[in-house]
Amino acid sequence: MTAPPGGDRRPLGVVGPAPDWGGPLEVGGVRLATPVMAASGTFGFGTEVPLCDRRALGGMVCKGIFLEPRGGAPPPRIVETPSGMLNAIGLQGPGVEAVIRDYAPLWATWPFPVLVNLNGETVEEYAELAARLDGVPGVSGLEVNISCPNVHRGGMLFGHDPEPAAAVTAAVRARTRLPVWVKLTPATGDIAAVARACEEAGADALCAVNAFVGMALDVRTGQPRLGFRTGGLSGPAIRPLAVYLAHRVAQAVRIPVIGIGGITCAEDAMEFLLAGCRAVQVGTATFVDPNAIGKVVAGLRRRLSPEGAPPAPEAPTGVGRRHSPVRTVAGDRVVE
Amino acid sequence: MHDLQAPLVRRRRVAGDVFVLGFRAGPIAREVRAGQFVNVLLRPGPLLRRPFSVYRAEGELVELVLRAVGEGTGRLLELRRGDRVGLLGPLGRGFALDPTAGRVTLVSGGLGVAPMPMAAHQARAMGMEVCWVHGARTAADLCSEWEGDEVRWATEDGSQGVRGTALEAVPEPAGQVLACGPIPMLAALARRWPEAQVAVETVMACGTGVCLGCAVPLTSGVYTRACTEGPVYRAGSIDWERLPAPTHRGTAP
Repeated sequence: MTAPPGGDRRPLGVVGPAPDWGGPLEVGGVRLATPVMAASGTFGFGTEVPLCDRRALGGMVCKGIFLEPRGGAPPPRIVETPSGMLNAIGLQGPGVEAVIRDYAPLWATWPFPVLVNLNGETVEEYAELAARLDGVPGVSGLEVNISCPNVHRGGMLFGHDPEPAAAVTAAVRARTRLPVWVKLTPATGDIAAVARACEEAGADALCAVNAFVGMALDVRTGQPRLGFRTGGLSGPAIRPLAVYLAHRVAQAVRIPVIGIGGITCAEDAMEFLLAGCRAVQVGTATFVDPNAIGKVVAGLRRRLSPEGAPPAPEAPTGVGRRHSPVRTVAGDRVVE
Repeated sequence: MHDLQAPLVRRRRVAGDVFVLGFRAGPIAREVRAGQFVNVLLRPGPLLRRPFSVYRAEGELVELVLRAVGEGTGRLLELRRGDRVGLLGPLGRGFALDPTAGRVTLVSGGLGVAPMPMAAHQARAMGMEVCWVHGARTAADLCSEWEGDEVRWATEDGSQGVRGTALEAVPEPAGQVLACGPIPMLAALARRWPEAQVAVETVMACGTGVCLGCAVPLTSGVYTRACTEGPVYRAGSIDWERLPAPTHRGTAP
């Protein structure tokens, strides 16, 4: 069932049609203004990031919410690591009612779609959240978070295996008419199996991947450097891992895949698109440069213009080399 | 708020291993208030920005004070004149000076001098009498610069001024109290002057209120963001027991 990582010689083609750069593209039931979205937890509720070129935003996934407000994890909540960071915020945030009351009316006036990142400790909590958000103006879709590493119950535990992942997806699907995206965790033995289970349970798209669980210790005290002890590793450090997993997912399912993991520039985003993703989400980079998404999109526009299209089959030597021609993304065209 | 590429213009030593770096960043220099900070991006350098209180703003210059405690500060001290860094700011809520108090006492421990020259400058401009009390481990660690009508020193080894922390050297009546320094010093200060305004240091990523990484626990049980609701707080509002001191990998304690 599982393709051996090194032995897969199938071409690295896009799974669906290439992003239509001439205008908005439809991905998993959501109309994106560009193929670059803001990842959950790195763009707040859309009101907190200054100096960002909002015309570049394909869409935004809001900070993960539960039914009820949550206080979050004890500090320290962040540790920098080589080319990355560990975070354990613990999904601090307002509950769903405050989101519906305070943010959704704003979102309804914005030119890009907003998806709500859903979290629960039980399948029923996810379903209840989905039902509560169904039909709320300003909410364009749901991103089911079965991959948060920073909560004691629920979250990532649902994403480890196909059955619980499918159960959450199906429960959400049954309670909403909104597009349902599922955000996958890398913490699974077979991400392709989890992806297929979510697809069969009714997911419209899959987001791959959430942060990797990590830990850092203070050698002077012998204690973990994060208040939660462990955290989610994000940033450029995880990009090769994430590209690989996103590619595995894209090969396993027919629904669109949104690539996530350490994207800081257009070339990084291109890697995920070439690996089979229809769109990408930028996360940690926004913490460093509030306009990271604006810069990724500006770079993609240059690269995906006819002059900037990548010379796909021949160079560089890669996985798809023996299978010319490779379909690759080039603006609204598919280069063969 | 501005995101600027700012060249290093000048650098001077103000204590044993403590330096002031001046960057040309006019728009930030004109807007910044005492207690606010900038988030500094180094390229090449570590992934995340590094937050610094603004030490002084003068004309086009924004000055920061620092000691090499880790990778970011180490790289900052290697900069040469003309090298550029990214400056995002001004960020956070600064001190709220109350001219009706007539007198303000600035209490700083170690690198807690950071927001004080601006605070002194602003307080004097409002007609307040400024007393600056500064403490450090030894005389060599005391900041050689100060501003105000009166200055008092404290050293842990008694090599200059009062033996003990800056807290021990505060003359009464203190008037309005503004403080910055190590967490144990600020926690002790909070017991004596709960109404004091303290600028706290935390680990931080974005600096703009998005990541929720710079959580400061309050006695009311909620977390607030040092970058947005802070970094200046009413001393008595912080749950000091649950506020960890920032640590830096690879440096001696």
